[in-house]
Amino acid sequence: MEEHLLVRKIDMGTVIDHIPPWKAENVLRLLELDKIKRSEYSLIVLHNVPSRKYGRKDMIKIYRHHISHDEADIICLVYPTITVNYIRDWRVEKYKPKIPEKIVGRIRCPEPTCISNSPREPIKSRFRVIGELRAIQCEYCDTMVEFERMADLVIRREGS
Amino acid sequence: MLEPRYGEILQYNNLRGKDIISARDLSREDLEAIFRVADSYEENPSTYRDLLKGKTVALIFVEPSTRTYHSFEKASRILGCEVIGIRDPSISSMAKGENLYDTIKMIESYGADLIVLRHPSRGAALYAAEISRVPVINGGDGSREHPTQAILDLYTIYRKRGSIDGLRIGFLGDLRFSRTVSSLSYALTLFRDVEIYYIAPPMLQIRREVEVYLELRGVKYTKITDIGSAANALRNIDVLYVTRLQKERFPDPGEYEKLRGAYTVTPEILRIARSDVGIMHPLPRVDELSPELDGTPNAWYFDQARWGVNVRVALISLILG
Repeated sequence: MEEHLLVRKIDMGTVIDHIPPWKAENVLRLLELDKIKRSEYSLIVLHNVPSRKYGRKDMIKIYRHHISHDEADIICLVYPTITVNYIRDWRVEKYKPKIPEKIVGRIRCPEPTCISNSPREPIKSRFRVIGELRAIQCEYCDTMVEFERMADLVIRREGS
Repeated sequence: MLEPRYGEILQYNNLRGKDIISARDLSREDLEAIFRVADSYEENPSTYRDLLKGKTVALIFVEPSTRTYHSFEKASRILGCEVIGIRDPSISSMAKGENLYDTIKMIESYGADLIVLRHPSRGAALYAAEISRVPVINGGDGSREHPTQAILDLYTIYRKRGSIDGLRIGFLGDLRFSRTVSSLSYALTLFRDVEIYYIAPPMLQIRREVEVYLELRGVKYTKITDIGSAANALRNIDVLYVTRLQKERFPDPGEYEKLRGAYTVTPEILRIARSDVGIMHPLPRVDELSPELDGTPNAWYFDQARWGVNVRVALISLILG
């Protein structure tokens, strides 16, 4: 049962494909898609559908919303198999995510004594990406976080 | 010993105006310049008197400290600097709720030329350096780093052994939460053919980020988690760096009591180790170093503490000179 039999194509929005099976919720959390409150926006999540390339996969279709390249880069750090397609008037533009050098203000440092966790300071968390180790490292306290753990450490944004 | 040359203070520019946040900020050339100036201060202390008259050093110590505070204060006064800052955080504006950002801005507006910060949060010194327009020296930020301690640790080894290249250094005790162990480990990567042994129970072993740093630089290290099997390493090492096991780090007090005795350096340990092994400790000690060691030539820790002033005179001179 291919995904196109389940959900029709969209004319505008973002398709995040080749998410490992049952991991779509982590991607939703990373992108904070539940914070988008516009009335024309829809979200379609497919779990565990057949994939020619990987056997099984999850997929997210975001109707009438384009995620940023920065966001695409971050989710691809966590799941490198992911591909991102932007749809504009039925035309598909593939985006090849890049490994970012830094991630600023999006991931909370898991080290409780890190200065970036101090609520009284006007400070944003800042991580450098160490691609060869599949980890990010807090620039303030040096704590290392594996890519796989990043989804649990997303800083929730206020409203949207 | 390197030739002490007072002129180095004016000639060596690499540290001028620089923040010292991590031992990783320093090059081997920087360290050797600091050693030369520290030597020269010891040989001709009068040359350094009032060298930096008119400058102001701010000591912001938001966490208790005796040795680091005093050695920075003494070094600053020897150089003729005015010393301002916070010694007792309980009576400072920070106790009233002022954040570090505002404290740094205020201290800067009082005319500080250099800020030395001791703070309980990891990364506080880097954050302060980002806020401050004047150089910041990390005087210890939580369990992360204490780079000036690492400089004086290396200076001690250099004074005692004449060279740091080719040495085997053992670390014993709480390595996970020790900022001096991480800073010294980083700094040791600047020297050739150094080998490191980390001797600690699994829960207090060296942090992952330090291991990664060593691995990326090809520095050989061995982790020993069972004190019973440390004898072979002890026979090999040139310097044994001891840190305190901190009771508060153990969820089970019984576990602490069990390990405490095993991680005490006694004359028996000296009999296993090389006869000329140097014992170092950032001090203060509790009971991890037997007082019976104090009179032996192996006890380097009091010299290590004494040379803290030399190193800080050198560092401040090279940053503000």
